[in-house]
Amino acid sequence: MLALIKIFAYIRKEFLIQRSYKFAFFFNFFSVFTSLLTFFFINRLFGSRISSHLEPFGRDYFSYTILAQAFFTYVGTGLGGIAGRLRGEAMTGTLESLLVTPTKMRTLLLSMGLWNFGFASVDLFLYLFFGVFFFKIDISQINLLATFIIFFFTIIAFSSLGLISGSFILVLKRGNPVNWLVSTLSGLLGGVYFPVTVLPKWLQAISAWIPVTYAIKGLELAVYQGASLASLSSDVIKLALFAIILLPLGIYSFGYALRRAKIEGSLVRY
Amino acid sequence: MAIAIKVEGLTKYFSPSTTALDDVNFIVKEGEIFGILGPNGAGKTTLLKILATLILPTKGEAWLAGYHIIKEAEKVKLCLGFHSGEERSLYWRLSGRENLSFFATLYNLTSQRSRIRIKEILELLELKEPDKKVYLYSTGMRQRLSLARALIPDPPILLLDEPTKSLDPKSAYELRKFLKEELVKKRGKSILWVTHNLREAEEVCDRLAIMEKGKIKTTGSVEELEKCLL
Repeated sequence: MLALIKIFAYIRKEFLIQRSYKFAFFFNFFSVFTSLLTFFFINRLFGSRISSHLEPFGRDYFSYTILAQAFFTYVGTGLGGIAGRLRGEAMTGTLESLLVTPTKMRTLLLSMGLWNFGFASVDLFLYLFFGVFFFKIDISQINLLATFIIFFFTIIAFSSLGLISGSFILVLKRGNPVNWLVSTLSGLLGGVYFPVTVLPKWLQAISAWIPVTYAIKGLELAVYQGASLASLSSDVIKLALFAIILLPLGIYSFGYALRRAKIEGSLVRY
Repeated sequence: MAIAIKVEGLTKYFSPSTTALDDVNFIVKEGEIFGILGPNGAGKTTLLKILATLILPTKGEAWLAGYHIIKEAEKVKLCLGFHSGEERSLYWRLSGRENLSFFATLYNLTSQRSRIRIKEILELLELKEPDKKVYLYSTGMRQRLSLARALIPDPPILLLDEPTKSLDPKSAYELRKFLKEELVKKRGKSILWVTHNLREAEEVCDRLAIMEKGKIKTTGSVEELEKCLL
């Protein structure tokens, strides 16, 4: 109960800070809209025909990539969000003030993660809102349960990667190889901008080691084809495995990095 | 008199060639102000941060209110108020009251208790305009707000790193008086006061340790140290 109250207090604090930057919200609003417009016009260039790579999803390129990007933006928050927040607290000099309170580190991390996802939900909503109401993307066949399960495991997998990424920030301060590697590989090989079947076989073999590959494929099928959980079981099991392996790894690496930062006395350095 | 802080053989190396603390030993009794006096780079802040559980020592042990700083870090945090002396340890985009309210929650205060406590502290420290954003505060106001935050949980032990830094002489005098008369004499708090200002140390501290290059050179009451130095 006490932890929940602290999490709520942290989220409220972040909300008040965010609210004080009035222009940022509108800027966010426009950046989502311009991103949608860019892909809308790229889609126009090729017409609304469905290439063979998009056939399993039954939608054109615009519908495919907008859903993938909205999803990737959302789950990507788990990846860079905690590291960003830790660096932000270190830069504003408030990290030590937080750590000296009788608040467990896991409560602070959960607070940071929940705020990040809450904030990213606004982007997700904007993508969906503009996509459905302005650009007429059809999501009427969505299988909500399958979509929810895919979100759930992907959030855990990416948040665990985010903890590993946060560990690098605690130790290295700048230069975060995990964030760069996962973001770049996910963007290039995970199916965010195009289905992975477009890639040559040897690159497809690499994409099989990236959690977002299964997440995007599963999500596109669940949202546009109403695919059931049973038919997506292979992708969901792989996602769950990523989550199960990465979570303890993330917790361990973060604990190690925090201890190392305390030994080096480098918590406030950035 | 019971012991508030006990430090035994505390040593900290940041690298084999950088010794921040070298076998530091002292005790702070309950209800006293113990000063650590020394030049910049003497290791005073490192010592304070180790006691506040923010840095791990290389060797040695310490207890606050009887709790071990490493093995019982969570209990230690419940007993201490830490004032780092850093202006940027507050959320500048929030108001003073919002800062205090946020940290009150992190210090386990209920919302009702938090409201009462914030009101008390704002009055005690004469923090006017608590609803103004912190970035609009003067440096002295920020110092006082940071101290107010340390007092929020009403802790028995206060670790203060140059609390009068950036204050004008009058404000510094009033703050010293407040800490000594109100918190220590009336409320029985124990304070570990880090400073490089000899006059301030003489005025405020019951006992003092002089620190240089990570070592405690000598410890005693102000009178004892004066005799020793003269």
